[in-house]
Amino acid sequence: MNMIKMPGRENTTDEMVVGLPRALLYFRYRVLWETFFRELGVKTTVSPETNLEIMRKGAERSASEMCMAMKIYMGHVDALRGKCTHVLVPRILDFGIRRVMCTNFEALPDLVSNIFRDSSFKVLSYDVDSGKRKDEKRAMIEMATGLGFSGKNSAHAYKVASRAQEEANAAAARRTEALYHKDGLKLILAGHSYVLDDEYIGKPVFQKLEKMGVTVIRADQVDRKQALRESEKASPTLKWELSREIVGSLVMHYPQVDGIILLAVYPCALDSMVNDMLIHKNSITKVPVLQMTLDDQTGSAGLDTRLESFVDILEMRKGE
Amino acid sequence: MEDVYMGIDVGSISTKGVILTKDNRIVASAYIWTEGNPIGAVKQLLHLLEEQVSGEEYRIVGTGTTGSARQLVGTVVGATVVKNEITAHAVGTTTFHPDVRTILEIGGQDSKIILVENGVAIDYAMNTLCAAGTGAFLSSQSNRLGIPVEEMGEIALKSSHPTQIAARCTVFAESDLVHKIQVGHTREDIVAGLCQAVVGNYLNNVGKGKKILSPVVFQGGVSKNIGVVKAFERQLGCPVLVDENGHLMGAIGAAILARRSKKRKEFSFDIEDMEFITREINCGGCPNNCEIICVYRDGQMIDSWGNRCQRGDAAAKKAARRFSEEN
Repeated sequence: MNMIKMPGRENTTDEMVVGLPRALLYFRYRVLWETFFRELGVKTTVSPETNLEIMRKGAERSASEMCMAMKIYMGHVDALRGKCTHVLVPRILDFGIRRVMCTNFEALPDLVSNIFRDSSFKVLSYDVDSGKRKDEKRAMIEMATGLGFSGKNSAHAYKVASRAQEEANAAAARRTEALYHKDGLKLILAGHSYVLDDEYIGKPVFQKLEKMGVTVIRADQVDRKQALRESEKASPTLKWELSREIVGSLVMHYPQVDGIILLAVYPCALDSMVNDMLIHKNSITKVPVLQMTLDDQTGSAGLDTRLESFVDILEMRKGE
Repeated sequence: MEDVYMGIDVGSISTKGVILTKDNRIVASAYIWTEGNPIGAVKQLLHLLEEQVSGEEYRIVGTGTTGSARQLVGTVVGATVVKNEITAHAVGTTTFHPDVRTILEIGGQDSKIILVENGVAIDYAMNTLCAAGTGAFLSSQSNRLGIPVEEMGEIALKSSHPTQIAARCTVFAESDLVHKIQVGHTREDIVAGLCQAVVGNYLNNVGKGKKILSPVVFQGGVSKNIGVVKAFERQLGCPVLVDENGHLMGAIGAAILARRSKKRKEFSFDIEDMEFITREINCGGCPNNCEIICVYRDGQMIDSWGNRCQRGDAAAKKAARRFSEEN
């Protein structure tokens, strides 16, 4: 965090507004972040839902090799300019052994500070890194005390926030679990929450499938602890936290559904390896698997054909 | 008066149509080039089909469309069923070859593999958004070599030492090809190498990880190329069946799907004389600025699509009002 601290910064929490880009980890930590700042009495603002304008701005601000989710993130940071004094960009490296995040999340604060170095907001960050013995709790409390809040208030805010996030996760997992017991055609949509929750790239896939009368179940909304354990059955060496949750969820649930759609954005290093592994692991592919990669093209014909024909094949199998 | 069913398959390169009876007899069929004008091609196709059934006692009670222009053409002809080409091909092929296990299909810009078990499609794969190793690649290379694409197969068979051509990506394949021509490989060997490259590319990309079981049926426009068929047989080590109606299979499947569906609507060939126009508008209702396609019949908007939300419908209606005022 030291690197990102701006020199000569005063404690100005009164007019402080923290901007939360509606992309990447926002969908995972929405409740945690919003509750944490509310408990501290700090205002927050969230960027609007992704639209073509944000996509375009993001692509302009990014290097061409960044993945589409990163480009969208930069678009959201851009949309927050002028609306906040700080933008929250955590650096999350890992949660322990074989619980690593994608390196993009490690680079994010530095990237944002550099790309938006001319902008008026400051980059607010916290640093989750097991090598430095910093878990999420310690990192977030440190961030708050760095802003001038007392240790006691900061610890209290974290306690309330993390409990709220855990309850939200458990509720989402319960809701999703119930869907596996529904009748009719069911399929799992497996992808990162920042792909599935995104209004512009992920939501249309949901809408199209639901229009066809399919029950769509998200792989990422799952009992995370159990999923981490179960993922070992598919691969004992898989090390990415987010991938392990999704893979574990697939291992737990594939016998209960008619098909699996692996949804990735281009180019995702994690998914390119993990999805390929899944396709060649026969235990999971006892059910049909459709691998789809989203890119920023506006024509939807290819997407429609693939989804439609996949659902047709599942229906034909089921009708047998 | 016998009830019959029509299937139309409008692909990027060719447009196919059949009229099918209840017992799967083809009473009319046509195969023409799309030439970038799907509506014009369909009108011409309907004309050809009408000629073949004129004077006979047939009544078309169901119409199915498939292929990449299925939605547009479905609107134009008032189709009762609009289905994607994978399902149409699977249905068509399993009707004529009930024992088939693997369907290979290489078309103009798509290539796919469909795995069948007990007459039901159980799995499929399609080329990703890249058109490497499809008909479009073969036809652009035939232009380069100055050989009509229809003759490539026969020329390939004359070769005894097919040239090795990189098959991973068409851009690399093309530069490899140019290089091989310049260092003196014969035309027969180059063409045979191209056919092998198409097969290698297909098996590496589309067929990756799929169990290809015999009987194998090969269809799509490229199946008319005997050089590619032989290359498949060599690489798969089993006979590859090419149906004489393989190029029509999508249209046949669409007709069968129209028959299976309960929707009935009598089709009249009058639409040949109507004027159809498509217009692209940008919605402008929000930053997404969706591209909306509006289809007009004799100046009246009959359908529109492409919008992500309801705002697009309003924009389309507005455009339709403007359109009728202008004309």
